[in-house]
Amino acid sequence: MSDTHLVLHGLAIKKNGTPEAIADLMGLDAGDVRAVLASLVETQRVVEVQGKYLLAPLARLALDADYARRYGALRADPVFAAGYEGFERINGTLKQVITDWQTIAVGGERVLNPHADEDYDGKIIDRLGALHERAEGILAGLAGVLPRLEVYRDKLTGALEKAEDGDIAWVSDARIESYHTLWFELHEDLLRLMGRERED
Amino acid sequence: MSLEFGRWTLGLDGGTPPGRALIGGKAWSLARMQALGLRVPPAFVVTTRACAACLSEGDWPEGLDAELAAGIAWLEAQTGRRFGHGPSPLLVSVRSGAPVSMPGMMDTVLNLGITDETEAALGAECADAAFARDTHRRFLDLYAHIVLRAGEMVLAAAGEPEDWRRQIAASAGAPVPEGVTVQLQAAVRAVFASWNSRRARRYRQHHNIPDTLGTAVTVQAMVFGNADERSGTGVLFSRNPLTGAAEAYGEYLPRAQGEDVVSGKFTPRPLSVLQARLPEVHERLLAAAGILEEAGRDVQDIEFTIERGRLFLLQSRVAKLAPQAAVRIAVELVGEGVIDEATALQRVTPEQIRLMLSPRLDEAGCLGASVLAQGEGASPGVGIGAVVGSSDEAEQRARGGEAVILARPTTSPEDLHGMIAARAIVTEQGGSTSHAAVVGRALGLPCVVGCGAGSIAALAGRIVTVDGRSGQVFAGALPLAFPDEKDSAALAALTRWAAARSPLRVIAPAEAEACDGCALIDLDGSEAAADPDRIAAALTAALAGRAGVRGARGGAIASERGVRAAIAAGLDFIVADPVLPPLLAAARAAAEGLPNAEHEERV
Repeated sequence: MSDTHLVLHGLAIKKNGTPEAIADLMGLDAGDVRAVLASLVETQRVVEVQGKYLLAPLARLALDADYARRYGALRADPVFAAGYEGFERINGTLKQVITDWQTIAVGGERVLNPHADEDYDGKIIDRLGALHERAEGILAGLAGVLPRLEVYRDKLTGALEKAEDGDIAWVSDARIESYHTLWFELHEDLLRLMGRERED
Repeated sequence: MSLEFGRWTLGLDGGTPPGRALIGGKAWSLARMQALGLRVPPAFVVTTRACAACLSEGDWPEGLDAELAAGIAWLEAQTGRRFGHGPSPLLVSVRSGAPVSMPGMMDTVLNLGITDETEAALGAECADAAFARDTHRRFLDLYAHIVLRAGEMVLAAAGEPEDWRRQIAASAGAPVPEGVTVQLQAAVRAVFASWNSRRARRYRQHHNIPDTLGTAVTVQAMVFGNADERSGTGVLFSRNPLTGAAEAYGEYLPRAQGEDVVSGKFTPRPLSVLQARLPEVHERLLAAAGILEEAGRDVQDIEFTIERGRLFLLQSRVAKLAPQAAVRIAVELVGEGVIDEATALQRVTPEQIRLMLSPRLDEAGCLGASVLAQGEGASPGVGIGAVVGSSDEAEQRARGGEAVILARPTTSPEDLHGMIAARAIVTEQGGSTSHAAVVGRALGLPCVVGCGAGSIAALAGRIVTVDGRSGQVFAGALPLAFPDEKDSAALAALTRWAAARSPLRVIAPAEAEACDGCALIDLDGSEAAADPDRIAAALTAALAGRAGVRGARGGAIASERGVRAAIAAGLDFIVADPVLPPLLAAARAAAEGLPNAEHEERV
């Protein structure tokens, strides 16, 4: 896969990304990404704002149209397709786990979880750990076809272990590469590869 | 002492409960309820001793099979049912129970004991063949995923047991064994194995728990809330968890199983339905709630099932409470002499007080306001601003100082910058677990989801008020109400108690204005001081060389970190509005002992 495509694809997932973050996620060399970004800025396909990069609107349309051509074989691969379907199935569980993390049921109503009860939080992180074990199997299958997806497994494990060690921001904080942030980036990555639309 | 079946197992017969270290937390809490004279479904325990023996010798403990059989025979005698046979089959749950609750332990296998034969018997007994079939499916599903560790697969509800078994064998690489005794042994073995799962090992290492302790296994008879018209299932709170009122509050599902509450297949009914149908059971349930609350000295959340008019308690734990309920109950329990003031201060968090006092829509102001969209309230709070339809636009206009509301059909990770910039989020599609809802809550932003396809067209460009609690989007900027901590007698009591224990005074801004001689520094304008993670260093820097300063205001000084920093810096007072959250944080910090550097790291 060409570096230029991967940089554009990375920017579609990590909007407002730094070259380092894009390189990290797409498995590229940071220096190469900087060079690609510089040429993309020159041809006005990417805009730089304070060291972070955004896709220009037309480049986004061109990218969206490009997936079917590039990933026809991947979409037809039964192993990859099965992995994707498996991911969609446990995606519902993940969202429920995160919702239970953020809110608690109080007499049938859900209110925000004040994270005052370590026992409750610990149980949710345990559920996340159980889900992660299922996700690892699925990711191994996907990465067997598309090796760059391996990075998600390492990053997800890292976020999970930080949460298990008590740094609970790593569960769902939207401002860092928390478990939930990474999961949604992975989902976005897969949706684009497979040419599917997000349902909610 | 409980009934011993040999070296490895014992029956919970209501006698003096053995230690938690031997029977694990789950069985211990069942035994505790029994000791209070309350009825739980019959259960026996494979002790931690058996697990430890299995781990150290790497082999199944000698004689355990015979003891499992003895335990099952005892359950059969207690229930009048038979394991693996009709006409009244005994089904059991198998769950792990370490002495210390721990992640990574095996999930519970329910309905073990169901086979083609017992499915037919159960269907006849409950006069509900569909229920028996579904029980069979749920057992196979749990057994496949938990014991056999099958991959991702779903057993279609419409299928036949034979098809399900074939599907499991293909996915797991091993079939579900024939025979309920073999299944039970395999489930117990899987609990032992889970003691050495990655998460469990990691947790023990992190918390210095010896690897040799081992886990217990609780084998408990299933009870059937759907057996007949005099059966049902529900949850009961010993006090109202929403308002805090000192009256039992609960939900009841007549003729239903516990899983039905979760699945949403049935609509729960109020407890008055139970009271009308089975008044004597209702009375016994309320008495049980009183006993459990008294023993636990806190509000209890109790799961129960009624089988043919007999009440069984399944679980009791400290209830989760809405902020206003937590405040009211903590204060009332002090009044009732159940807990002391210091304990009451531990029962309420500063965050709960902040939530209680957060601005909300003024009810009078909402009257007559037109509702432009209605969805599901997914993250509470009120946001007012101009509606924009793209994240880029939201970010640009917010950078210019404008209050904006981001309205999208759905959101995805590429909308994050727009969401951060917005005062509230509105979406057309998705529910309370959607990306917008999850990220909205993570950012502390009001969020309304699922307003329906095409609904945001009506909002574009308008000024709106978004109520993330009710899920309504109103036209225009509506007035807000700001609850005052001084208006509540319960908050005033907590304030008094916290002030008496706080090493730091917290004074309201008006009081600070009036105090001429108060030497204080203002932390507003410092970026570091506004960040709870950095306030300790920022405060130290601001105080350097200013020996006369006795107090501080501004920045994140009223946050829990800020309060700890102020105490550590030896200040006399801080200025904050509202007063109670930081005061409570100070009293709680004092109760924990003086903050030290290590503690700062962990908070």
